[in-house]
This record gives sequence, structure tokens and C-alpha cells, in this order.
Amino acid sequence: MTGRRIRAGAHRAVLFAALWLALSGAEPAGLVPGAVLVAGSVWLSLRLMPPRRPLRLWRLVAHLPWFLGNSVLGGVDVARRALAPSMPLRPGWRRVQVALPPGGRVALGGELSLMPGTLAAGTQGGALLVHLLDTDAPLDRAIAHEERALAAMTERAGNG
Amino acid sequence: MIADWLTLAFGAVGLVFFVAGTVGMIRFPDTFSRLHALTKADNLGLGFIALAVALQMESLADIVKLAVIWALALLAAGTVAQLVARAALRAEGSEDRDA
Repeated sequence: MTGRRIRAGAHRAVLFAALWLALSGAEPAGLVPGAVLVAGSVWLSLRLMPPRRPLRLWRLVAHLPWFLGNSVLGGVDVARRALAPSMPLRPGWRRVQVALPPGGRVALGGELSLMPGTLAAGTQGGALLVHLLDTDAPLDRAIAHEERALAAMTERAGNG
Repeated sequence: MIADWLTLAFGAVGLVFFVAGTVGMIRFPDTFSRLHALTKADNLGLGFIALAVALQMESLADIVKLAVIWALALLAAGTVAQLVARAALRAEGSEDRDA
């Protein structure tokens, strides 16, 4: 076992243990099965999703307010367009070159799908295919900001 | 008392977003635009309803449970929207070839 694997395992154990405590309401009778389940879940998660680049958790937390604020804007924006009698839409496509590793690309796609006006539809030769609700909206900077934030969340390989 | 009124207010706002998401799904012209409405509006609706219900909870564990439900729904919506969009794109491509 490498150090990175142990570190990722410890992170995930804390996460799963917190989840178990929340689900079981911290019942004392649930602690033993919980410990077994947490150990099993960590083993399974390390098998299914081996750690590649360690996450910087504080970056993730720091990104959260921005993400929440934008997903509220995204919901308000699409609700406004849906309910407006004139239904202002100008749908179109944009191809966005992304330098993130495959896992990061999927995360960026998922995030963009909750942001105002953008929806990821998979990748084409390393570029993310993004559907826009309104091709006139200035979204390039928002997408670039999102990519930078996600890139900052993962440390470079060999660094952790 | 204040918590009850806030629950009503947040719940009502949540419902508005669910209605808007449904209206978008019916009115929007194509699959991709409809996905925008479904993922974004419905997630916000669920978020507000989770907030409304959280104000009625007595223990922190219950509130964490609600937060986990919302986070998992968010994750699922973001992922499923991408998968549906990709599938729709492929279906469109093959139709073009047939035509």
C-alpha cells in the first residue's frame, strides 16, 4: 500500500463513518455493524475508484458557495424562460477544450449542467460538448472559471 | 412559529420551481433544452423543499440526512442529464444518416 492509498482510504473512512452516524442517528447498537460496513465500503471504493489525484478538501469547500449561488441562478434563469409567455430561448452548441483529466471532465460536465444556461452532453475528442440555452449569453468566462476551480481541487500527481 | 412560516414559504418556493421545471419540459422545443429545465429547476425545487423540511427536524442527524438526499439527487441529476444528452445526440445523428 502506498501512502497515497492510505491517505485516500482514511479520507473515505471519515466520510463513510460520518454518513453512517447520520443515517443511524448515532445509535450505540449500530456502531459495530457500522464499523464493519465502513471498512467494507472503503475497501470496495478503493477497488472501484482507485485514488489518482488526492482532492484538496478545503478547495472543494471554498468552491461550495459559488456553486450553490450559481445553481440558484441557473434554476431561476431556466424557470423564468419556461414561465415567460414569449419563452426566450436561443439554443445552440459550443465545443469547449478542456485540459482536465477524464474524471475532472465528468465533474465539470455535471457541474455545468446545474449552472445557468449550460448543459454538458459528453466529450468529443477531448473537448466537452456543451449545450447552451441562450447562445447570446456570455458564458465562456463562467466555464473557464469552473474549469480552473476544479483543476485547483486536485493536486498534481506525485505531489501528495 | 417562525419556523413553521418559513417552512411554508420555502416549501411554496420549492413548488414554484418544480412547476417551472415541468412547464419547461412541456414547452421547450427539444430534448436538450428540456434537460436544462429538468435538472436546474427541479434541483432548486428539491433544495428549497429540503430546507423547508429541515426546519421541522429535531436532531442534527435528520438534517444531515436531508442534506445527503439533496446532494445525491444533485449528483444523480448532473450525471443523468449528461447521459441523456449524449444518448439524444447519438439518436439524432443516426436519424440524420437515415434521412
